[in-house]
Amino acid sequence: MISLLDIVGPVMVGPSSSHTAGACRLARVARALLEEEPREARFELHSAFAKTMRGHGTDRALAAGTLGMEVDDPRLKDALEIAREGGLVFAFKPKNMGPEAHPNSVAIHLKGDSRSLSVLGASIGGGMIEIREVDGFPVALSARHPCVLLFYEDRPGMVMRASEIIGRRGINIASMEVLRRGKGDEAFMRVDLDAPLPPEDVEALKRIPGVRRVHVLDRVAGGAPIT
Amino acid sequence: MSSLNTFAELLETAERTGLPLDAIFLDQEASERELPRERVFQTFRERWAVMKDSVRRGLAGGRSFSGLVGGDARKVIEFTRGGDIAGGHLVARAIAYSIAVLEENSRMGIIVAAPTAGAAGMVPGTLLAISEEKGFDDEFAARGLVVAGGFGALVAAKAELSGAAGGCQAEQGVGASMAAGALTFLLGGTPRASVHAAALTLQNTLGLACDPVAGLVEVPCVVRNGFTAMLALAGAQTALAGVESVIPMDEVVEAMVKIGEAMPRSLKETADGGLAMTPTGCRIRNELYQIR
Repeated sequence: MISLLDIVGPVMVGPSSSHTAGACRLARVARALLEEEPREARFELHSAFAKTMRGHGTDRALAAGTLGMEVDDPRLKDALEIAREGGLVFAFKPKNMGPEAHPNSVAIHLKGDSRSLSVLGASIGGGMIEIREVDGFPVALSARHPCVLLFYEDRPGMVMRASEIIGRRGINIASMEVLRRGKGDEAFMRVDLDAPLPPEDVEALKRIPGVRRVHVLDRVAGGAPIT
Repeated sequence: MSSLNTFAELLETAERTGLPLDAIFLDQEASERELPRERVFQTFRERWAVMKDSVRRGLAGGRSFSGLVGGDARKVIEFTRGGDIAGGHLVARAIAYSIAVLEENSRMGIIVAAPTAGAAGMVPGTLLAISEEKGFDDEFAARGLVVAGGFGALVAAKAELSGAAGGCQAEQGVGASMAAGALTFLLGGTPRASVHAAALTLQNTLGLACDPVAGLVEVPCVVRNGFTAMLALAGAQTALAGVESVIPMDEVVEAMVKIGEAMPRSLKETADGGLAMTPTGCRIRNELYQIR
């Protein structure tokens, strides 16, 4: 069942839960995945997202999320100015992603000092979001559960090694997805968890031979925050 | 406790356990989040406080970001204070409070989406109006909010709650139906009456287009929150009297999804049809965005 607090919520800066709060959360997830301060941000907006961008403050919300603001941060209103003052280079443009794409889709391309990352996401109503691609890998990521993403070389035993580290901690895997670009090429694993993974286990995942990078998302990045 | 997915399962659980709706939903949420029930309810108390505050800020007035709307909630309240009323104080307050939240939203103020920002008015507007009318305290109102959230979550299990996917029926229709279920609960109705109130309300918003002028959550959204609040009151009033929806709530939700799919994109939050494309709608858009 969807959380009641996703329905009576989020507490947010108006005017649109999908075009303001959802947009902010999509950019927050992209920022969290980049794991460093973004210096450059390019946004490509599809259909309804593009058409009502200014009226719904979607541009401000995307900038706010890129800066790490929460959806109820009153500074969201002034995020474009704050981003500009902080030296973030950013641009928005419409892009037709075809009839199959969700009308509230955005492609977010972030660049930090040492790496860059692309995320394709959709705002699916009431502030809820779904990440549909990370660096070209198709995923289905709601950011409502704690989640670990692994990029690694496709080789035997990787799922076993990763799940062993998680299982040793006694954390239940809610769902899991494994993909690869080709045999022996770059591969990708998404693991949704019932509880957040402690940092030392994340480090252990990074040390598995063949693992290139590990990203961690908690539910706060995109879901209903409650502590 | 196994996860609830339909209104039929909800009623079955309510009838089997004899628990009130808010207790069923709170148990569910607490068990899925692995948190104490009291901690979850505390969040609802906090959200209720933000909702009440958004009504208060909304009534204080001020124009929207675009300058297109603002001050209407205040007009309704002041007219009512003069004693000149068409439908009683409860009705006038429910309309004014619902509009107030949306006016605050249009100023990029802080609101609580319920279930969305464009439909954030009805739940706080009607629950606050009925609480003032009947003398319900905040603790009781927050229990109503839990019921509203639970009803919305059951709809969201089948339907995407956005104008872009389902038109306004999927936002304000669902918001009004959540409010109707919660009002019926607060007024002492049975779980069955609450579900019928939600079904009667939702079926009377089916087909509602999302055609915002200039793409803003302002016209018709702001005033419409006052009008759909009336549907929530009608839903509670009829269901408490024993009127039942011939089509069960789960099937009304399915009908809403199918209607949303059949709607053209121009009527789903793209500002390419309906009120948005009337001569006045186009003129406003052109002036706001300086399109010639």
